[in-house]
Amino acid sequence: MATERKKIRLKDISIRTDEPLITVTADDLMPLPPPLDQQGKKAPYSPLSENQKKSFECSLDGVSALALPKPKNKEEEEKLVARFLSGLRKLLSQNDNWPFWQPLIQSLESCVRCQTCSDACPVYVSSGNQEIYRPTYKSEILRRIINKYIKKRGKIITKLTGDDIKLNWPTVARLAELAYRCTLCRRCAQRCPLGSDNGLIGRELRKLFSQEMGIAPKELHDSGTVQQLKVGASTGISSAAFQGMVEFMEDEIEEKWGKRIKIPVDKEGADILLIHNSGEFMSWIENPVAFAIIFEAAGLSWTLSSEIYGYEATNYGTWYDDVQFARIALKQVEVARKLKVKKMVMGECGHAHKGLIVIADRILMDEMNFPRESFLPLLEELVCGGKLRLDPQKNNFPVTLHDPCNVVRLMGIVEPQRRILRKICPQFREMEPHGVENYCCGGGSGFAIMNSMNFKEWRENISSRMKLKQILETFNDVLDSGIRKYVCAPCSNCKGAIRDILSSNDLWEKNSIYYGGLVELVANAMVDMKRPYIDWEWH
Amino acid sequence: MILFIFYGSILFFIIAAALRVRRCVSAPIHLHWELYKGSSVYELTEWWGKTHNTFGEKLWSMILDLLFLREFYHRNRNFWYFLYPFHIGIYSLVLWHAWFLFGAKVISIEFLSIWGRLWGHVATGLTFFGIVGIFIKRVKDEDLKIYYPPIHYLKWPFLAVILLEAFYSVQFYFGDIFEDLLLEFHPNVATKAHLLFASVLLIYLPFSHIMQLFFRYYHYLRWDDVPNVRGSEIERRIKEHLERPVTWSAPHIQSGKRWREVASKLECPITEGK
Repeated sequence: MATERKKIRLKDISIRTDEPLITVTADDLMPLPPPLDQQGKKAPYSPLSENQKKSFECSLDGVSALALPKPKNKEEEEKLVARFLSGLRKLLSQNDNWPFWQPLIQSLESCVRCQTCSDACPVYVSSGNQEIYRPTYKSEILRRIINKYIKKRGKIITKLTGDDIKLNWPTVARLAELAYRCTLCRRCAQRCPLGSDNGLIGRELRKLFSQEMGIAPKELHDSGTVQQLKVGASTGISSAAFQGMVEFMEDEIEEKWGKRIKIPVDKEGADILLIHNSGEFMSWIENPVAFAIIFEAAGLSWTLSSEIYGYEATNYGTWYDDVQFARIALKQVEVARKLKVKKMVMGECGHAHKGLIVIADRILMDEMNFPRESFLPLLEELVCGGKLRLDPQKNNFPVTLHDPCNVVRLMGIVEPQRRILRKICPQFREMEPHGVENYCCGGGSGFAIMNSMNFKEWRENISSRMKLKQILETFNDVLDSGIRKYVCAPCSNCKGAIRDILSSNDLWEKNSIYYGGLVELVANAMVDMKRPYIDWEWH
Repeated sequence: MILFIFYGSILFFIIAAALRVRRCVSAPIHLHWELYKGSSVYELTEWWGKTHNTFGEKLWSMILDLLFLREFYHRNRNFWYFLYPFHIGIYSLVLWHAWFLFGAKVISIEFLSIWGRLWGHVATGLTFFGIVGIFIKRVKDEDLKIYYPPIHYLKWPFLAVILLEAFYSVQFYFGDIFEDLLLEFHPNVATKAHLLFASVLLIYLPFSHIMQLFFRYYHYLRWDDVPNVRGSEIERRIKEHLERPVTWSAPHIQSGKRWREVASKLECPITEGK
């Protein structure tokens, strides 16, 4: 029997202790359906080593996403707290934070504490309703810090509006980690009757830490945006390496399609510049290969770019830093402009969709305001408009669709992918809930690539748990290992997170649940394919 | 004196509300963040040439939300059972006052008295039922009480007192109120008390969540899919912001330069995060 859990209050965020506020145990976790209902109970994440505990902040939940070093002395602590307060002032200033001031203030001021959003959060529910993961926990703490330390409206008003948070280093350190326990899926914001966006508050907290204090996960900053600005891609792929990959793609195309083609690269004046998440070239080359086959078969005028910044759609700045975001978006658009293509088309990368098509819309001025769109409507035209010869029977296996938050809830592209799957997959079945009500894969906002210390375990067992549950429920009548099943995830980061949960639970080996993108299914259905496009080999 | 306070509070309400609206309207245009309830224009190829949601569609959606509290109905039904009567009651009371003040000139006071009492009491009853229910839930329900600041616990009893006092005034002094208030300017004691409470409420209203509800729609938080096109007002406003200095202090930012320069002209300095 589970022991009674300690009740966490808002003011606990300030407690000065080396022990974490909470540790999520196996008993806390949301149960999973078959075949994982009978698996032995295992702690969702390992404790950090004594050395790690000594060196890094982990007093929130015993997990470290940031590898945040502990301050050496009291003076350093005070300095960091002062910098946090200075950053908070900037966050609340129209001049300093014009890009998100209005929705941030709206979100901070409009919450009526009805907690309607709580049950919408997959992290909160999967963890067994841990108070610190409640969408409003960090927001309310921030709100009270603002009331007490920034607004300073007198003792009585401050008392009446909640003055229980002490702004000290433990508070700042825990808030920094807490900003990285939310995937920014914004399902809570979708639920909020008042339009308060706790996802945005989390994102703005991340921004405060990055832009004012230089604190961000290494995977997003140093080896993410900084690396992308330096070499052209967050994966570190150079232009020369990219060109080598294109040759490999041509070999793959010949092997699968039976035709030798020259993939257009840097073709000036093409109608379309197709831009992929460079992770696809590293981990799932079959995805850009399928795009190439489909575009060639449909006779489109298109090109890839080998220019620095032109072969990478990601922009991790979307999740934590306005300045890095703007720098990368401008460089990506500049490539398309110089190539004189008619439009940029985003491949299967959710945050690149949201980042470059939607958010960047209001930083791209004059000639930089360049046409940008999703691959989905274009693919729908090709598949449903009869531009490709397709045989749905080639995809006659159970297929379900994961809706990437960035593409669906945050962009409103809901139906094209469904119309495509209904056309080419006779056994297509929806997850519940789906569309704009979907659950995040658990890898959103950079989590899919963050692997610091025990963070990967936390992700796989907590933030991705709801998605795992959904997948298993969707395939509950076909769990037999003799039936191959396909989780279609048209987003690179989602695909990575789903790969990890399927892999760590042996669901491919034991239950034949496979995963991949959308274009792979389209290529697999093509009549003139020399051999089946999907090879069902785990990777 | 009481009328002076009452009309002063109306003036205060108008000025404070106008200032809040001004703060909202003059806020810097923000980046395109957005949430969608369903399909958007991005489902179309070359979406920039297609029609986005019209103002009429947005307005209709807003009216339905405000009239029925649809979001609460779908997401938090137990709370809605009390919130809805409260809101419908408030809407009815606002209309009642308008009808009463303006209708009295063209409709007989007897007619107003009969139907005014009925309408007023039903509206008051609904609001009162909502207030009591909300207050009890805020005290009893674990989810609803956890982060609820102390100041809001004062709000509900205060509203209940106003309602009870209003009920008393309407029930026992209905015939006198109109003439007293608008013609003779010598309100009776019950009306005076009601006006005093109403004045406090009017002073509070501009700072309440009711204003926030309207701002949510003004912000177009959920439907702000208006694209930035070359030469547009959006572009003009953004350009102004791009000339502002970047003040953030982290080493990779390059504080002090203008946004336009920091984002486009300078290479990102390669600094390690801390």
